[in-house]
Amino acid sequence: MHIEPWFWFAAIAVIAFGITGLLQKLSTNHLSADSALIVLIAGLVLLEPLIYPGSAVLHYSRSNLAWGLLSGFLNALGSWALLAAMKAGGTASVVAPLTALYPLVVVLCAPFILHESITMLQAAGIVCSLLAGVFLSFPDQDNPQSDIEAHMD
Amino acid sequence: MSLSRVLRLRWFWCSVLCVLCWGAWAILAKLGSREIPPDTMQFIFTIGTLPVAFALLAARRFNLEKSVRGTSFGLLNGIVAGIGSIALLAAYHTTGNTYVITVAVALYPILTVILAMIFLRERLTRCQAIGIAFAAVAIVLFAL
Repeated sequence: MHIEPWFWFAAIAVIAFGITGLLQKLSTNHLSADSALIVLIAGLVLLEPLIYPGSAVLHYSRSNLAWGLLSGFLNALGSWALLAAMKAGGTASVVAPLTALYPLVVVLCAPFILHESITMLQAAGIVCSLLAGVFLSFPDQDNPQSDIEAHMD
Repeated sequence: MSLSRVLRLRWFWCSVLCVLCWGAWAILAKLGSREIPPDTMQFIFTIGTLPVAFALLAARRFNLEKSVRGTSFGLLNGIVAGIGSIALLAAYHTTGNTYVITVAVALYPILTVILAMIFLRERLTRCQAIGIAFAAVAIVLFAL
């Protein structure tokens, strides 16, 4: 069985993001959710010296640099919107499964924007993943706040 | 609750904004990753997050809770999230399908649930068990 390279990178991402879910819970035991988001971004900044590309960054096209900047902004804005939804009275049992559907935006848009196609097996995997994401996002009824906070990274 | 009432609720539109922002983030990350290598994309990505951090800080009048443990966990969270983000960008940098990668990586709560059971002694709920079962099937399908 040949496994594509993306699968291994995605596996590393799942492991790292899975750990961040736990760290987010631990962080928000001591900090408010918006403070935790600010400190998380500070943690991202700590990595910057290690990945500083120097003047090489100027050699890339402006549009791709803009996509990179905008992707960071939108990721953080999405996290802020999740916070705002909770503060505006959204219950974790509704907001968390709803926001877990964000990959659906990619599934719906990618064929038109990125001109990609998928196999039937991958399509079945996507359906299972979306269902998994929704079910995994339903909070523990004894501690609903901790589960919603785990989604902010 | 009727649909018309839900459509007037602020939290609903905030949730929709979250879904749209995170969906757009994934697509833009892929677009940028076609040319730019993962570590450089992560460098640029982090710069993009700074305005939101600054706005949140300003809204709090530049006051953060003074908790060494909370701040330490938060900083570590950011570092690990950055590593995960580089891995995700590396996946986008390959020829793999964007939606398959995005959906597969969105399965990360499965690991959080397992780690929370081990380290925080949280119990597995019925919904989470169903979610893990769906995730396991999805992982097998993606690997085929």
